[in-house]
Formats: sequence, C-alpha cells, structure tokens
Amino acid sequence: MNTVPAIALGVVLVIAIALFSRRAVLLYRLVRLGKPSKRFDDIPGRVRAEAVVVIGQSKLLQRLLPGLMHAAIFWGFMVLLPTIAIAMIGIVDEHATLPWLGEHGGYALMVDVFAFLVLVGVVTAFAIRKIQRPPRFVGSHLGEADVILLWIAGIVITLFLWHASRIALGLNEYAAAWAPISNLLAHAWGGLLGPGVERVAVWAHVLLILSFLVYLPYSKHLHIFLAAVNVFFGRTKSRGRLEPVDFEAPAEEVRFGSATVADMTWKQTVDVLSCTECGRCQDVCPAYNTGKELSPKLLIMNLRDRVLADGPKALASPGAKLQPLVPNAVTDNVVWDCVTCGACVRECPVGIEHIDHIVDLRRNLVMVESRFPEEAGSMLRDIDRASNPWGKAQGDRAQWAQGLDVRVLQPGEAPPDVLFWVGCAPSFDERAKKSAISTAKLLKEAGVDFAILGPREACTGDPARRMGDEYTFQKQARQNVATLNAAKVTKIITTCPHCFNTIGSEYADFGGRYEVIHHTEFLAGLVRDGRLKTLAGDRKITYHDSCYLARHNDVIDEPRELVAASGQAVEMPRNRERTFCCGAGGARMFMEESRGRPINEERVREAAGTGADTIAVACPFCTVMLDDGVRETGAKLQVVDLATLLSEAVDRKRAKDAAGGQTP
Amino acid sequence: MTVLVLMEVSDASMETLTLARKFGTEMHAVRMDAVQPFAPDAIAALLALVVDHLNPSAVLAAGTDRGNDVMARLAARTGLPFAANCVIAEPGDPGSLTRLRWGDSLWEMARLHSPRPIITVPPHTFAIEDGPLPSEVDVTPFLAQLEGKDMLVRVSEHVAAAGGGVLLTEAKVVVSGGRGVGSKEGFGIIEELAGLLGGAVGCSRVVTSAGWRPHTDQVGQTGTKIAPDLYIACGISGATQHMAGCRNAKRILAINSDAEAPIMVNADYAVIGDLKEIVPAISAEIRKSR
Repeated sequence: MNTVPAIALGVVLVIAIALFSRRAVLLYRLVRLGKPSKRFDDIPGRVRAEAVVVIGQSKLLQRLLPGLMHAAIFWGFMVLLPTIAIAMIGIVDEHATLPWLGEHGGYALMVDVFAFLVLVGVVTAFAIRKIQRPPRFVGSHLGEADVILLWIAGIVITLFLWHASRIALGLNEYAAAWAPISNLLAHAWGGLLGPGVERVAVWAHVLLILSFLVYLPYSKHLHIFLAAVNVFFGRTKSRGRLEPVDFEAPAEEVRFGSATVADMTWKQTVDVLSCTECGRCQDVCPAYNTGKELSPKLLIMNLRDRVLADGPKALASPGAKLQPLVPNAVTDNVVWDCVTCGACVRECPVGIEHIDHIVDLRRNLVMVESRFPEEAGSMLRDIDRASNPWGKAQGDRAQWAQGLDVRVLQPGEAPPDVLFWVGCAPSFDERAKKSAISTAKLLKEAGVDFAILGPREACTGDPARRMGDEYTFQKQARQNVATLNAAKVTKIITTCPHCFNTIGSEYADFGGRYEVIHHTEFLAGLVRDGRLKTLAGDRKITYHDSCYLARHNDVIDEPRELVAASGQAVEMPRNRERTFCCGAGGARMFMEESRGRPINEERVREAAGTGADTIAVACPFCTVMLDDGVRETGAKLQVVDLATLLSEAVDRKRAKDAAGGQTP
Repeated sequence: MTVLVLMEVSDASMETLTLARKFGTEMHAVRMDAVQPFAPDAIAALLALVVDHLNPSAVLAAGTDRGNDVMARLAARTGLPFAANCVIAEPGDPGSLTRLRWGDSLWEMARLHSPRPIITVPPHTFAIEDGPLPSEVDVTPFLAQLEGKDMLVRVSEHVAAAGGGVLLTEAKVVVSGGRGVGSKEGFGIIEELAGLLGGAVGCSRVVTSAGWRPHTDQVGQTGTKIAPDLYIACGISGATQHMAGCRNAKRILAINSDAEAPIMVNADYAVIGDLKEIVPAISAEIRKSR
C-alpha cells in the first residue's frame, strides 16, 4: 500500500461524493415536494417491469440499431461496474486487486469484450447522431449528448490503456490470454507502455468516472439512475386509468390538476427528471407528426426546466409565488393538441407518463381557470345536462334498436347474462349506429341473453375527463355505477373502446366492478365456440387499432380473428400496440383541429397505401373520424365496423349453406 | 349601508336592483352611458372615484358583456375581488355566493372575503321587484379627474357583420352549404337564396377546413348553435357533429344527391338531387312569385 496515492484518492473521492450528494439531495427534496401518488402496489408487477424494460431493454430494442447500441453500452457498464473498485485498488497498490472477481479470468474476458462493445456502442451512437440524424432529436440538447458520449469513450479507452499497460508491465493478476483486446494492445504498443503510462491511465480512468458521477445529476444523463426508479413506479396495470381527483378531501388538499410545479406529484417530478431527450415519444406522436405545436419530448423538457427553476424556490419558502406552468412552461395549444393516444407513454424507455401531465394541466385550466377551446364547452354542457355529448334527447337512446327486438332492461328486472352498453355515438350517430345494430343482430344470432339500458344509460364521462373536467366525469361515473349496481349487472360488453376503458379501468374507483368485454373480444369468442358460423369474403381489409383498445388495454388479437373470419387481412405499417390515432381521443373529437394537418387524413392515407378496400374499425369515434378522412382525401376505401363485417360473413355462410342445401 | 350600482337602460339592470337592495338601503347609481362612446376603462375609473367618495359596502352591475367588462377593470384598479355571474349572494365578510361557471353548466358555491364585494348578476336571474330606486350620482366632478389613458379603450366605430348583416344566431332562415357545394365560388347560389329569404348563410365543418367560408359561419358542435324557423341544408351529409348545431331548428329541409345521407333521418323535408340545379331553381321560383 502506497500512502500518497491512497490519501490523494481519498481526497478526490470525498470531493466527488460531496459534490454529487449536494445535487442529489436537492433533487431528492424536489421529488419529496411532490404531491402523493399511489405507486407502491403490485410489487411483483413492478419487479417484472424492471426486469423487462430496464434489464431487458425491451422498449429500446423496438428500434433495432439504436436499441442494440444502447443495450451494448448499458449491459457493458453493468459488467464494468466492479472495475471501478478494481481501478481504485490499483491506484493504491498496483499489485493488489479485488478478491476473486479481480483474479478471475472469465471476468477479465467479459470486461474486455463488453468494454469493446461499449466503444462500438459509442461509435454507433455518434454515427446515428452525426450521419443518420433522425428527426426525433429535433429540440434535444445535442452538444450535451456529444460530451456525454466522449466521456464514456474516455472512460473505456483509459480502461483499455490501463489493462494493456498492466499486461505489458507484467502486473496483470490473470493470464493475459483472457483479455484478447488488451493483450493485443499490450503487444502492439509494448515499448510505449511504461509504469508512467500505467499510473496516468488508471488515474485518468478513475478521475473520468468520478467527474462523470458529479456531472450526472446536473445533466440529462441522470436517467442512468432515475430510469430504473421511474420504470419501477410506472403503471403496471390499467394503463388507461387516470388518477381521480378526491373532491371529498379537505379543501386545501384537493388537487385541481397542476397550476405550478408545486402541484405536480412526486412521480411526475421523477418523470421529468428522468427524461434523456431521446425523442422516441416525439417520433410517434400524432400531434407532432401532423405539424402541431405539441411535442411530448419538449413538453417534458420544459416542465423539467420549470421544476429546476421553481422547485428550489418552493423548497425555500412553501408559500413562494411560482410561475403558472401554462403558458410559462408550455403553451395552451400544446396542452390541447394531445389526443391522449398514449403512443409516447408506450414508447418511452424510461417510463415517463406524459398523459398524466397533460391531463393535470387541463384539469387546472378547465376547473380553476375555465380556460379551454370554447367550442368544446357545449360538449361538457350537454354531457352534464343531456347525458350525451351532442345534447340529443335521452329518450331516443334506444331508437337505433327499433324493430330488432332488443330487450331494454327495466328497473327491478332480473339482469341479463350480459349487458350491452351501447355508448353515445352508436346510440345517436347515424354512421356509428350500424355497429350497434350489427352487434345486436349477432348476439341474437348466437342466442346470447342480453339487454340494453336504453334511456338509463348515460355518457360514461370519458370526453369530459380527458378534457380535464373531472367534476362532470365523476358525476357521470357515480350515476352510471349506481344504475349498474342497482341492476346487479356483472358482465358488460361495449362497442366503444372509450366506454370499455372507462367502465373497465376507471369505474372501480367509484365502486363499479364489472367484467367488461369489448364487442370484438366477445364476438371472437362466439366465432371460436362455433356459435357464429362465418365465411370469409373477398374484401381486402386493413384493421385500424384503436388507441384505447390496443395500446391502453391490450385488445389486439381478437379483432384480427374477426378480420380473418370476414376477409383478407393486410396490415398498416403502424399497427397493434404501436398504432396511430384517428385524431378523436382526449376529447379532440369535440375540438377544432386548426393547427397542422388533419390526423384522420394522415391515417387514411396510410390505410390506402396498403391497397386495402376496407378499413375495419372497432370504435365509433374512429368510424366517424376515418370516414370523414376518406371523404376528405377521396381515398377508395370503405370504413366498416368489425361487427358489420362479421355480420356479412355470417350472412355469406348462411347463404352458401342454403344454396348447398338446395343442390343435393 | 350604502350600495353602488352600475346601471344600464335594461331589464337586466332592474333585475340587479333586486339583489342590490339586500346589500344596502342607501342605493346610488352610476350610468353606463356616463362616458360616451362606451369606454370601459373610463367607466371603471369613474366608479373607482365614486367608490372612494361614497365608501359603499358593495358594487353591483348586471352581468352583461359590458357590465362584466367594466367590473373586471374596476376590480383590477381597486385590487378588490370580483365575483361575476352570481345567482345568489349574501352580504357579509366573508359573504356567501353562488355563481355560474362554464357557460352555466356548473354552480359554484363560494365564500367571498372582501370588505367591498364587486358582483355581477346574470340576466333573467332575479325578478324585477317594486322597491326603492337608486339615486343617480352626479359624476361631473369625477369626470374631470379622468386621465387620457383611461380613454384608450373605447368604441371607435360600429361595423356591421359581414354577410348582409343578418346574424347566424338570430336569423329566421339559415341556408347552409356543405361539401356538396364544391368550392368557395359555389356558395354564390347559397348566398343568393339566403338573401332572397332574408336569412343568413351557414356551412359545415368541411367547408371551413377547406377555407371556403370563415369559421364564424360554421354550424355544429364546434361551431355556432342555431335555432332558425327553417334550416336549409344543401349538400350536407348531416354528421352528428353538424346536427348538434342545428337540432333546435323548427324545420329542416335537406337538399342532397345521396338519399342515404344521415341528414335524411333528421330532415322534415328533403329534395334528392343536385343542389347546383335545385337551389337556383328555388331562387328563381321565389323571384317569380314576387
């Protein structure tokens, strides 16, 4: 043991840890400043997410090249972590090393290989950033990323240099043969690698690591600590569920969304601090991709900047006057551009939940400031007064079912096996009615015991909730839960993914627990069980996944079974859980799309590109949006609900059987 | 107790007095037309001076566009809280009040901590009751104290709305065009028919997104809600989003080449055919009969 290097290392370590801790404590206090969020349930699910998303790099590997690049660096550093200790021991005594691991040939081989992979990763990252230049980086801090990559390269190069010089000096504690790359370098540069070089390399290596440690919490690279934390506390189930506002809480504790950074939950603070500006969210965002103001990445970055600017003020004096988040961090337009499709959330490798931020900003604007796109006001009013967003007469709700002999469940009657929750659009919209009619016919055909609520069914409140009008939503929720519970309903099918998500994932918070099934799932079950006999036709069908079905609720395969039963399937490039929104979600159905290009037309062009003649849909709002898009673009496409397609297939089968019966 | 009321010549102001009497027996009034032409900042400045002079326990106005405009400015000038569109208000500090929010969809019950509440009352909330009337404050000395900057915001000119002056919301007849009209120029025949019927021109969302007509002409869920005696929908398919804007029309006449269009379900009368032939034919008939 050498005293001087030991003392020098000790001093450097103390300084580095002190500087790191100073910042880390501030960030920790900023997180603790956050409002409560229930994130400690379902520990097995959280551990699983950690294993898949963090260790397994699942979200990053959705994009092969950048995914492998990142995985190389990430897994590389996991393997290299113990070398930090080994290098520090090496500083104090060049003949000593970490017991067992430092003497293990197999580990030396892994270090050599993974350090090389990290270098390959860094070079790849530079190639992506400098040559390929994907648009997802627009708006990110590019210079900062370059510095970080060079830092990583420096850490690995000094490690190689140190290992090579140790081999050249005969200091290596394991057989040189176990470290092929370091060995190669030692032989190539053998004469140059004297004891001086060995000392410089090991010191440079350790100093680079320690300075990197200090730099991390001041930079976007903080994600290497926070990503694991943020993923752990992410939603594990009911991804489409929003946290309810507790209006019964004492007045000063009710959180009407977020006005300033002091209103954000601790999870939201971790969210914004975790962002590493990779832009995957921006890449998939329907609003950003159609030229609107919203970029989910910039939203999070701007909120982060505001947290770092205002958070310390809030810590210093709890009553400090903080800047409103809108319009100081993000503009009103950004808040209202979002369709809550969840593509950003689904894509984010570090578990940021953008929708929660958007909805909290909306809640504050709507419930506190009464500030929202004025054209949406009548939707809120009509849901409240007329129980549907268009102000139609509630008494006409069952009109679509005239002549179909559908039972309307009356108060006090025994519940049916399944309740068909029709939804507002299929009840009132001429185009969407077809799906309700087809579904009812198919249920009859299969002999299912079902009923509808008729005028006792009221809007679930989904558009109001996604607008931020939690009052109206909760009023609707309580009313519907009371109706459903009184009717002793246990099993519900619905054609609307928004009703499906709201009743299935959100009504439990208001005492409504039911088995909720989307009509595509239910009908696929009937086909599988042979209760509906089908014959596929000639239609070339491309199926449009609804965000609230595929992405928020994992209903992906059953609709495709129906497509296969009805015609010839062809997929759009953006499909399944990585689908592209129709533009109606997040109450956008009830707002003007005045910025950028229409989202629905973008999607229709994508569908037309497949050469299909039919877009199959499983959502009444997608039906209306895409049908409008077809008219607008003049595409040669028909927009048809899956229930209607299946109904055709059943008719086709029956006609064929009848024809077959006639000719013996 | 003294109370100050900003008065206009309208029922709304008389209704406001019903509430004002709760706040004080000694009532004073400043007239909205004390400054001509209408200049909200100047009236607010005037009110502020009168308030300093009379020391009233409350200031009230009708919740008209002008009333709310002036009172908001008064609140900003005096630093006192302002409760707009109150349907219930009880004096006191804190006083309790109930006010309309979100275009009347929500009643907010609140306590108002203020030594001098500033309150407006939405029209048609209170009945006009017999009772003492306010005495008009002589504003001449206060008018002299107004400064030039108080007059910066004022009505400088009245411009009639485009489209022949018939407001979409007030028209007895609305002739609307949709995608079927085909172009900006295509609206010529729609305008002609609307003109002959003394009505207004409307349109569907498709038309405004195509830039053929301004958004102010748009009828629908996200446009203007109308309630004419007759709604003539030309080349409009009748999406739910559109029908939400004209569901209060007494009669709907649909002119459309597609007999299957959803609007046929809601229309009282329908002509199936090309609007480019039918609309000019109707106009010609009207001319002939005159």
